[in-house]
Amino acid sequence: MLINSVVLVLREVLEASVLISVLLAMTVSLRLSLRWLLLALPLTVVAVVLFAFSLDSMTDALDGAGQEVVSALLQVLVFVALVCVVFVATRVGRSASVMAQPMAIFMALATLCALTRECSEILIYITGFATSEEHRTAVFAGSAIGATIGLSVGVLLYAALNSLPERRVIPVCHALLALIGAGMVMQSSMLLEQVDWLPSARQLWDSNVLVNEQSLTGQLLYAVFGYEATPSLLQVSLYLGSVALVVCAWWAGQVVGSTVDAA
Amino acid sequence: MTGLLLGAGALQAKTPIFEIEIRDHLFHPEELRIPADTKVKLVVYNRDSTPEEFESYELNREKVIMGGRKANIFIGPLKSGVYPFFGEFNPKTAQGRVVVE
Repeated sequence: MLINSVVLVLREVLEASVLISVLLAMTVSLRLSLRWLLLALPLTVVAVVLFAFSLDSMTDALDGAGQEVVSALLQVLVFVALVCVVFVATRVGRSASVMAQPMAIFMALATLCALTRECSEILIYITGFATSEEHRTAVFAGSAIGATIGLSVGVLLYAALNSLPERRVIPVCHALLALIGAGMVMQSSMLLEQVDWLPSARQLWDSNVLVNEQSLTGQLLYAVFGYEATPSLLQVSLYLGSVALVVCAWWAGQVVGSTVDAA
Repeated sequence: MTGLLLGAGALQAKTPIFEIEIRDHLFHPEELRIPADTKVKLVVYNRDSTPEEFESYELNREKVIMGGRKANIFIGPLKSGVYPFFGEFNPKTAQGRVVVE
């Protein structure tokens, strides 16, 4: 039970922890305020509790597709918020302190949407075992260990990003956000396939032989790049399309930025 | 309009439905045989009072099912093979597989 809890909680925490580390590294590098985190955390607590306690009725909504549709929507929202973060960040780097406000909103939105689903699953898991005297201690201890490992990976990533040469930090963060965001879009498409809102297609390849999705490396790659060992054509297209959109946002931010500078 | 609705109903009726129950953190049946190259709808009933998460890496599926509730999960069309699934909240006992043939 202990190991199960470690693995389950670690999987959920890892993804959120990686995202927050990248956003934190960007905030510090751009010399912005950390108030987005203060804004996001209380809102997240409310959203997590609401999500977890309405999951019953949510699952039955939309002819049984409610849980997936809401989760997919949250993941797409994370991606949209990340595209906005990249667009705005490219301009913040140049001058405009007026960009600090929208930046805080987009970072808070990305954090809120990314944490809601992951944390409600942990909450449902832990409360599900809270009444079981047999498993309670193992579940609590395992969850705490899993969360600690997940957060430690985040701290390590943050430290690594911080130790990069100043001019490298933002481009590396943008690249990571592109991959994290694309992974979210890809996952959302799988959720919609699960309830038949999107057609299910044959898998393109199986890379489990190279990196098993269930291995530690697989899980880590999943958290950072949304690694999927058996994707379909739709998923690969969505992934590449999403990365391309982030690159466009970065390019558009630069063009707008240089126009503003020239004026 | 009625014709359209009936048509949609007929289309839905073509998707075979398979039922699985979760009881005492075990899947009943543990093995589900489904036809190859066919989309099927799994209806998973959680008869336990505690929540469970239906999860399968091979099928790319994951869904939390609260205690005493049911969940619909569409899978396929799949090629022949064995696709394991498990209950992520009780992975030691809750193990099962979809056999596509």
